[in-house]
Amino acid sequence: MDAFSYLGSGFLVALQPVNLLVAVIGCFIGTVVGMLPGLGPINGVAILLPLAFALKLPAETALILLAAVYIGCEYGGRISSILLNVPGDAGAIMTAIDGNPMAKKGMAGVALSISAWSSFVGSIVATIGIVLFAPLLAKWALAFGPAEYFALIIFAFCCLTGMVGDKPVKTVVAALMGLVLATVGIDANSGVYRFTFDSVHLADGIQFIVVVIGLFSVSELLLMLEQTHAGRAAIKTTGRMLFNLQEMGATWWGTLRSAVMGFVIGVLPGAGATIASAVAYTMEKKLGDKDGTFGKGDIRGVAAPEAANNASAAGSFVPMLTLGVPGSGTTAVMMGALTLYNINPGPLLFQNQPDLVWGLIASMFIANVLLLIMNIPMIGLFTRMLAVPTWLLVPAIAAVSVVGVYAVHSTTFDLVLMIGIGIIGYVLRKMDFPMSPLILGFVLGEMMEQNLRRALSISNGELGILFQSGISIGLWTLAIVIVAGPRLYRRFRR
Amino acid sequence: MKSDRIFGGIWLLVAIAMGVLASKFVAPFAYEPIGPSRYPILLAVLNALCGLWMILRPGPEPEWPGIALWRKIFVMFATLLTYALLFQDLGFMLATALLTVALGLLYGGTPKKCIIGGALMGPGLYVFFDKLLDVALPVGSIWAWG
Repeated sequence: MDAFSYLGSGFLVALQPVNLLVAVIGCFIGTVVGMLPGLGPINGVAILLPLAFALKLPAETALILLAAVYIGCEYGGRISSILLNVPGDAGAIMTAIDGNPMAKKGMAGVALSISAWSSFVGSIVATIGIVLFAPLLAKWALAFGPAEYFALIIFAFCCLTGMVGDKPVKTVVAALMGLVLATVGIDANSGVYRFTFDSVHLADGIQFIVVVIGLFSVSELLLMLEQTHAGRAAIKTTGRMLFNLQEMGATWWGTLRSAVMGFVIGVLPGAGATIASAVAYTMEKKLGDKDGTFGKGDIRGVAAPEAANNASAAGSFVPMLTLGVPGSGTTAVMMGALTLYNINPGPLLFQNQPDLVWGLIASMFIANVLLLIMNIPMIGLFTRMLAVPTWLLVPAIAAVSVVGVYAVHSTTFDLVLMIGIGIIGYVLRKMDFPMSPLILGFVLGEMMEQNLRRALSISNGELGILFQSGISIGLWTLAIVIVAGPRLYRRFRR
Repeated sequence: MKSDRIFGGIWLLVAIAMGVLASKFVAPFAYEPIGPSRYPILLAVLNALCGLWMILRPGPEPEWPGIALWRKIFVMFATLLTYALLFQDLGFMLATALLTVALGLLYGGTPKKCIIGGALMGPGLYVFFDKLLDVALPVGSIWAWG
């Protein structure tokens, strides 16, 4: 019952005019960013984060804005999947498989509305999941000491490596790069300058915003130089715009199943919307594809992945809010945003910042209602915006990114560093290095080092403390299972 | 394959440099068993191992852009860098207008459209951020003489 009274006070925060306005703006921007091919939630959140900071928005308002953008992106991605057959973001790849054939059959309106509806169901189910489980997890995590935290962070990295799978070394290198970047600056415990090369600009460490914008805005713009599907015409939405009860009935259970599964996948650190929607689609295909209609415009194949990717996006808030370990690249950026406000996400967040946490959760409910309205009755507005030309979009993104970075310190140094990181990011991405582990490493780096050093201070340098408590042994075991499990499984099947 | 090897080699060198630098971090007052240098050294060792791994077991060669695309990438890089360096001198309005024209042309806009876009975007974004949202942007030091 406790959670519900907190949720009530959360709605009081979320319904404040500023926060409501910010949610509307966030939902709108999110849908647009999600819809535009090449830009996904992590880019949207990365570009808006410095602006939120520059506008001196209070922490909860900034977080509500970013969350609305994130959720909005998961809605928006489907639009271009269905109309262009080009996924608007990674979570919407599976939606194109049946969504685009449906649109070609003249049922674009139905595909858009049913996927908006299942996005809504997925997101709401997962947000209810947050209300039910997050406080419990936070309470449990209160017992974590530095050794347990260190094990938890290792576990989070192992989840990433396990999931990305086919290129484990590159995932590890990416995570290490993030960890190395995080060590730059004054060491908090001893006051020693590390890797600053006597530059005053690096004494405080590398600015989070600079890294994020470099990796997710500048390098993204460079990748857009290669895009060639400019000439592709969007399918016109004609005919019936809304799904009927029969179609809703046909998709209902699949949507719910995918929502629950998406939530669980989202909660796992490292696994995100892309995996959730792929698993959901495969599951529904296995369960329901009796006449071979999947892939040819089956409405169930449109609903399931959308429910799953939205649910997993909401689910990835759970580890960020309760443990201070983000569940996806996007929540890693959001967690970085919190630390900019000197708020340390972790189990104490629920106790110390109830307004922030519950305000955020309540506004996620509100954002979903707003998004349902934007994505069914007002969908025409967005489909028209699919035609925004790249030659206008790219300079706009570049200018807005620069404004955000410049607003933090007003130095040219940060701008040049941003461009440098962007170029390096581009080369790394071309070489198939995943970027999520890098940003996760950068966000978690300091926490990892501090917890390791604290644990070893307690034990006077004895490494055994890292494997002493039941919780840490459990986490280390899980970490090993996640990394080694799939590989052993593959070997035995051979 | 070759790219991974080259990267692995560079990464190994970076790791060694890191290790050498990190070993010189000494705390003036050491009160904890683990000082400021152990953790960076640990990272350096892991980096070195990964670098070696990439040299010995490189993955498939990535698809590198062709010369035409590299040229575009270089132009993009040069444009952004020029923008960053002139940002404070030219002021946000003019710099952004020029950026819009340059990038617009690079990303396939026609000259006429790009010039119109630049003329609108520079002042437009300036008013939006500086006046409406109160994010302080440079006016431009070259305008101070006049």
